[in-house]
Amino acid sequence: MSTSPLSVKNVFQGYTPPSGVYDEFMTDTQQPRAHSKLFLDSIAQIGRNEFEHRWQQAQRTVQANDFAYSGYATPEDKARPWELDAIPFLITGAEWDTVSTALNQRAHLLNLVLKDLYGEQSLLKQGILPPELVFAHPGFLRAYHGQQLQNDCFLNFYAADLARSPNGEWWVLADRTEAPSGIGFALENRILISRMFPELFHQYHVERLAPFFIAAQETLRSLAPQAQENPRVVLLSQGQTSQNYFEDAYLARYLGYTLVEGGDLAVRKNQVMLKTLGGLIPVDVILRRQNSNDCDPLELDSSSRKGAAGLTQAARSGQVGIANALGSGLIESAAFMAFMPRLCKSLLGEELLMPGVASWWCGVPDQLDYVLKNLEKLVIQPAFRMRGKNNHTPGALSKMSPKKLAELIKTDPTQFAAQEMVMRSSIPVWRGDVQPAYLSLRTFAVNSGDSYTVMRGALARTASLLDPLELSLRKGEGSKDAWVLADSPVEYVTLLKEQGRTVTLRHSGAELPSRAADNIFWLGRQLERAEAIARLLRSTVSRLSGETRSTSDLEVPVLLRCLADQGQIEPGYAIDKLRSQLPPVEQILIASVFDKSQPTSLRSVLDQLFRLGSIVRDRISLDTWRIIRRIDKGFLPAPYGVTNLSDVLTMTNDLITELAAFSGIIMESMTRTQAFRFLELGRRVERSLQIMSLVKNCFVPMPQAQGPIFETVLEVADSLMTYRSRYLANLQLAAVLDLLLTDETNPRSLVFQFMRLSKHVEQLPRNQAQPGYTAEQRLVMTLLHSVRMLDIQSIAEAHSLGDYQPLESLIETWESQLPKFSEAISHRYLVHAVSSHQLSDISPQ
Amino acid sequence: MKYKVTHTTKYAYSQAVPVCHNLIHLAPRTLPHQVCHDYKLLVHPEPFSISNRKDYFGNDVSYFSIDQAHLGLAVTATSRVTVSPIPEVSEAETPSWETVVKELANDRSPEGLDADQFVFDSRGVKHFPALVDYAKVSFEKDRPILSAALDLTSRIYKDFKYDPRATTVHTEIHEVFEERHGVCQDFAHFQIGCLRSIGLAARYVSGYLRTEPPPGKPRLVGADASHAWLSVYCGKAGWVDMDPTNNVRASTDHITVAWGRDYYDVCPIQGTIVGGGEHKMSVSVDVAPEDSVTPQNQVDSPT
Repeated sequence: MSTSPLSVKNVFQGYTPPSGVYDEFMTDTQQPRAHSKLFLDSIAQIGRNEFEHRWQQAQRTVQANDFAYSGYATPEDKARPWELDAIPFLITGAEWDTVSTALNQRAHLLNLVLKDLYGEQSLLKQGILPPELVFAHPGFLRAYHGQQLQNDCFLNFYAADLARSPNGEWWVLADRTEAPSGIGFALENRILISRMFPELFHQYHVERLAPFFIAAQETLRSLAPQAQENPRVVLLSQGQTSQNYFEDAYLARYLGYTLVEGGDLAVRKNQVMLKTLGGLIPVDVILRRQNSNDCDPLELDSSSRKGAAGLTQAARSGQVGIANALGSGLIESAAFMAFMPRLCKSLLGEELLMPGVASWWCGVPDQLDYVLKNLEKLVIQPAFRMRGKNNHTPGALSKMSPKKLAELIKTDPTQFAAQEMVMRSSIPVWRGDVQPAYLSLRTFAVNSGDSYTVMRGALARTASLLDPLELSLRKGEGSKDAWVLADSPVEYVTLLKEQGRTVTLRHSGAELPSRAADNIFWLGRQLERAEAIARLLRSTVSRLSGETRSTSDLEVPVLLRCLADQGQIEPGYAIDKLRSQLPPVEQILIASVFDKSQPTSLRSVLDQLFRLGSIVRDRISLDTWRIIRRIDKGFLPAPYGVTNLSDVLTMTNDLITELAAFSGIIMESMTRTQAFRFLELGRRVERSLQIMSLVKNCFVPMPQAQGPIFETVLEVADSLMTYRSRYLANLQLAAVLDLLLTDETNPRSLVFQFMRLSKHVEQLPRNQAQPGYTAEQRLVMTLLHSVRMLDIQSIAEAHSLGDYQPLESLIETWESQLPKFSEAISHRYLVHAVSSHQLSDISPQ
Repeated sequence: MKYKVTHTTKYAYSQAVPVCHNLIHLAPRTLPHQVCHDYKLLVHPEPFSISNRKDYFGNDVSYFSIDQAHLGLAVTATSRVTVSPIPEVSEAETPSWETVVKELANDRSPEGLDADQFVFDSRGVKHFPALVDYAKVSFEKDRPILSAALDLTSRIYKDFKYDPRATTVHTEIHEVFEERHGVCQDFAHFQIGCLRSIGLAARYVSGYLRTEPPPGKPRLVGADASHAWLSVYCGKAGWVDMDPTNNVRASTDHITVAWGRDYYDVCPIQGTIVGGGEHKMSVSVDVAPEDSVTPQNQVDSPT
């Protein structure tokens, strides 16, 4: 087959790499490079239509998995989907070997530098590094000294950003040593792109990522203070508002570790513990994704709310393994780049195998001089990088005039570093047609004893402009899968099956952190609340929107009372006299249910549902998550969704179906672990409250037109079918109340909720040594008993005769008891620890 | 001078505290002119264990945690310390301050390296431009460093009003400068900031001042809290301690407990608690001479 560029015109037509740079796919003479020929040929064969079709499919997967990047700083700030490109970056195995060797050397070197600076400091004594570089560094916390490290390793995980210069050589742009991110994205990209080109993936013998993750698991296992077959490893995330949260959750799931936040950990007797429903359990190893200085409010940053007091002391006493060690981020600063060649010679006695981009630190007078004289040619950046916070972003610095910039640098030169601008290589990206973009690679290494295991793959990042060197994942425009091409077929490995290890069969999952249980409980409550409101809304709208029946005038006021009680509309609509003075409900209803500023509005409830769902994503299945996404996306106001009442009706119908699917999947697919129980507890508590509210608002006082109201209530409570099958059209209060309150076979009845609550509470972990029943057991049994003992017939009779008191006082009792139950649960299991704070101190005088 | 120092800190909580973690800097250092004979730390309720170590600056630091619910915490440190007069460095014999700045940048000896870390901003001492201007009035060209530094100490003593109610432990030095008031910690931080702003090394010293009886009155017990001053690196003349709150050079009335870059490195009691609602704290410090020898240097009372 011909391999001229013409044969690939279907997709690659018109691709012209920019001049003066190295192109990853084409030679200077516009010929495919040897290793990219197969790819270009295959794409040509696939053809444009098929290519586009596959790409759309892959994008749908991205959306369905919602593999997003940013977290939730605010409710408005929704996660952005990950921007993946269809065309992978290709590199031969032989070239990758060279890259790996260089990375191995660099990781070694950086580890030695950390060990020295947190130990002997001979690098400072011998004048290899200027002491100011360390002493002026805000990340050099004295408390990091004296940690007892397993394997003598500060740098268990390392990442380097690489770029290829016009002559084809690779350069290091930046080191990431604090808590390198991107590993999860590399994995996700691989899964998507290998599915898009299954044949090519196979023909190319693309090397697998799994060996890297197995090495990572091995390393983490080896960090346990006491050698253990199965140490408890937790992934310490920065939390749900962090931009890395999705990746953290994804990695935790993939590697099989418990995802925790600082608040989930406690230190007791120098031992790090995980707060779970069953109490505190010891943690052996922490995969630290949180910044070092946030880890311990006692010894590190006392203003941080994210850490666990005493963690530093635990690290010092050697009772926990932390990867990376606290303080490892010290050397990811640009200022250190300037000294790498010298450090390499001094510590390893060799030259750097891969050069770093030329860098200068302004804290040294002659380097400062050079920088000031060459400002136009250089990229100025903060000398000291503190992961997650930067005062001067390189973007802001690059916008300053050279004169202003020089002034700023001179005010405190130690705070600035400069780097040469780097011409990166170009690579095609798919934007409806193929265009060139600039490439950088984030590569990963994990310590394996004497050497580092380098991932045989990477996270490729593309940018359409020559950006400053700050390569935060947030900035670049897109990402790519990186294929390392082996000469022969590669071995298949999996993380799940580990040879030689027998698995102890278990019926319970990982321990449930109390915080996760709390979120799951509220997820259950919001789920049920959303359904109750949606049902009310549907019944109301169907009566308002012209599909009227003659009785709608009688039913609407009652429904409005319920909606007002739920906070969907102004309370005034519940009162007959006021209603006439307010705008017709048809006019305000749509705006009200979509009003995000009202925390009780249906849309806000759905936002909460989505937020909680995303927080507990590591505990729910992908299918469940897809339903949550559909719920979120499916209920939108104009201009995307609803414009009139009949739209609301359609949309509410869909919403109810989706919510039912959610409930269904929980019942059918969720294992009966503690997570399930807390979801159920949340749902049952909320449904109980909804039933009470419905009965109270519809039957007290007794409506005049009983028949239509009874029917409406049964419709809202999803019990109309049952009623008709039992009593046909004969609507009687006693029968209606029985179905809603005391019928133990009706999953919508109050007694059914209490039965479930009672059953779940029995199965919660509790102190077996304590005799008798717990507070929450007693409360729920009292509730259950009071419903079971009801004489519904006589209550209904009294009620029909105008004596509302028996029913009213019953509901009042339940309404006061149920929250107590909810509180008891929360006290025992969920509020394990109130947030910690600093003891005040008075000034020395 | 031989002293018995008793430093008691009590916390009372409105609700039980299930867990607390504490770091303690209360043990006096042993130095060429100061010997700490014995040191005891008593904590109530009794912690599971107390671990002691040297921190980065060579101070003794104790860590303990209590994980049984408690409504109060009492920490008492007692020590016996002998302080000898420090051989006085003559101001004129110290090198010019410019020489010291230059040396700091190049000296890789252990002393030089150690001093160098005290040149930079730290959490409690943040640079602002007016520091240089204030410092430069004392730091004239080629002036011997100690003469200039003591002049700065006097100016701070005169320009700033001592006012325990004006500031808190977290007051930043630019506020202290703007309002011209504060307590010993603020004055020490401010002078450190001035010295660092022109490239000198200065460290924060936490310690005690002898509790002075007014003439003819019994000694007041528990009237004082801990004290703070600073130390300036004078090149080959070494570190010299000075106290801007009292406008003196530290001598046998000053008992050194710990030093660091600022208050936060050597905070006497640092604690993180869980829950506890409101909390109240009280401190009493008693520095009693163990023999009846009259001190040679009278310390001016804080104004």
